[in-house]
Amino acid sequence: MIALWIVFRKEIREILRDRRTLIAIGLAALATPLILTVISQLATKTATQIYTVGYSGEIPAGLDVLLTATGLKLERVSDPATAAKQQVDLGVAFQPGQIDEYYDPTRQSAQIADTRLQTVLGRYESAKAAAALQERGIDPGVLHPLPVKVHPLSSPVKAAGNAFLSFFLPYILITMVLTGGLSAALDSSAGERERKTLESLLLTPAPRSRILLGKILAISAISLVSAIAAIGSMLLALTQIALPGAESIGLSPLAAGVMVWLAILLAGTFSSLTLTLGTLAKNFRQGQAYATPLYFITIFPASIILFIPDFNPNLAYYLIPILNAVLILRDAIVHNTVAWPALGVTSASLVAAGLICWYTALRLFTREALLVRS
Amino acid sequence: MSPAAVTVERLEKTLGKNKVLRGISLEANAGEIFGLLGPNGAGKTTTLRVICTLLAPDAGSVNVLGFDTRSMPEQVRRRVGVVTADIGVYPRLSARENITYFAQLSGVPDRDLKQRVDAVVDRLGITSFANQRADSLSSGQKQKVAIGRAIVHDPEVLMFDEPTSNLDVLASREIREFMVESRGRGRCVIFSTHVLHDAERLCDRVTILHEGSVVATGSTSEVRGAHRDLEDAFLELVL
Repeated sequence: MIALWIVFRKEIREILRDRRTLIAIGLAALATPLILTVISQLATKTATQIYTVGYSGEIPAGLDVLLTATGLKLERVSDPATAAKQQVDLGVAFQPGQIDEYYDPTRQSAQIADTRLQTVLGRYESAKAAAALQERGIDPGVLHPLPVKVHPLSSPVKAAGNAFLSFFLPYILITMVLTGGLSAALDSSAGERERKTLESLLLTPAPRSRILLGKILAISAISLVSAIAAIGSMLLALTQIALPGAESIGLSPLAAGVMVWLAILLAGTFSSLTLTLGTLAKNFRQGQAYATPLYFITIFPASIILFIPDFNPNLAYYLIPILNAVLILRDAIVHNTVAWPALGVTSASLVAAGLICWYTALRLFTREALLVRS
Repeated sequence: MSPAAVTVERLEKTLGKNKVLRGISLEANAGEIFGLLGPNGAGKTTTLRVICTLLAPDAGSVNVLGFDTRSMPEQVRRRVGVVTADIGVYPRLSARENITYFAQLSGVPDRDLKQRVDAVVDRLGITSFANQRADSLSSGQKQKVAIGRAIVHDPEVLMFDEPTSNLDVLASREIREFMVESRGRGRCVIFSTHVLHDAERLCDRVTILHEGSVVATGSTSEVRGAHRDLEDAFLELVL
């Protein structure tokens, strides 16, 4: 155990003196708030943006007031269909008894303008119908024979915030646990070989398994710090930045606890994996090439939440490393619950993956070919 | 006569498809500088790597101070220090931190650590740059740090593998002086080199390797024989 502690302290000391790693952690902590600020500003801008409707014909009485109040600016054009391609966001031809709408679905501004127009027209029609019924002495309530009263079981604003977190948090956690310690892992394995210190290290009587464990612990620690810094800065930023529709975003104590536990397991697994890849490499650059596919492999499971938000797999799916962590974290954030059997399977799966990587790294670390190749 | 510090018997080693050592035998004693000579590719570095347990023998045996390298590698590593031409030091650690790290891994007790590191720093003349980061040191200074980390656990067998090949004249001279001093302290010094002039000046006994086999062994004067110098004797043996 002493050798493990000696190696751990030395690796931490070297990492803390490595500008690359420190800059990566600093940038990660700064990048998330910056991205959130940009998202917030873009979302706010979209909500208050005024879109132009090019029209021809006579606008029905009162509709122009409603359109203008909804952020749709009216501009008379000779041909609404042609104008909708470039000149304006939406084209509308008002004809007696009919409205022709022209828009290009590939333009986001056209989509937003279309949504606003449909909303305004729906209200306008309801108002017109209600007025006509009232003129005839009929209660406008007949238009809504079964009025619906919605009773949300949880705050829709909070739900929107949780949905946002359930995608971004696993994504940031996995990305930062992987990338936060990557440079240190490659430096500690391929770098050791590249700068010719490996032979001297292996010449010491310290057991190689302990040397390797010391390195893995140090890299895991840096990965954890990196991930927690990024997530902490994100959560802090969310208290200051308002995202439309998701004003109340925060992490419950249960979700925070689950996140930290998963971060520890993922850090151990990724550290073992990247150290193994680094041990295979002759130098730092080759190690980076080996590690590049990891970005795609690890980010893919995080994306599943985006594409299939209600993905509810059986217990066997929790054997798949990374995907299991994403699913557990999603449930903890969105529903504030943890399925303990699933968490047990997830923990066992990640520990097993870490042990396999550690054993592989150890086998590589003790191979003669490692020295002969260097 | 006391038993040899290092005994190599009929050692064979193949790396990949290349049979590097073909049954070599040699003995190196405490209190002598033993030269392991030969052209590049003769098997000198592989022999040293087997002696210090980095490589396992395919056949034959290696014994260091009574410990077999195959069955008791950790005991051997505690008693061996190696200095190579490739001066690898941790660039973000200071000279002192580099030496301290290896002292700790070599099992120097905490209570003796500072005293032992200070002694090595003094002995090698490292004091003036002991607290400088290794990436700011010259090649000669780095080589001193490499020697420091190899001797900080006070090994009884010291192996130098082409230690001066990347160094200037002054730094090379200091290395040679250090080998002589270590011999005076009763250490077994194994000096692997292809610079026969250095070997002739320093070594008490030599073994010449060629294509993985021993072609001559004995005291330096015996191997030189009637030739003008060791280089002439060597050329006659290998050509």
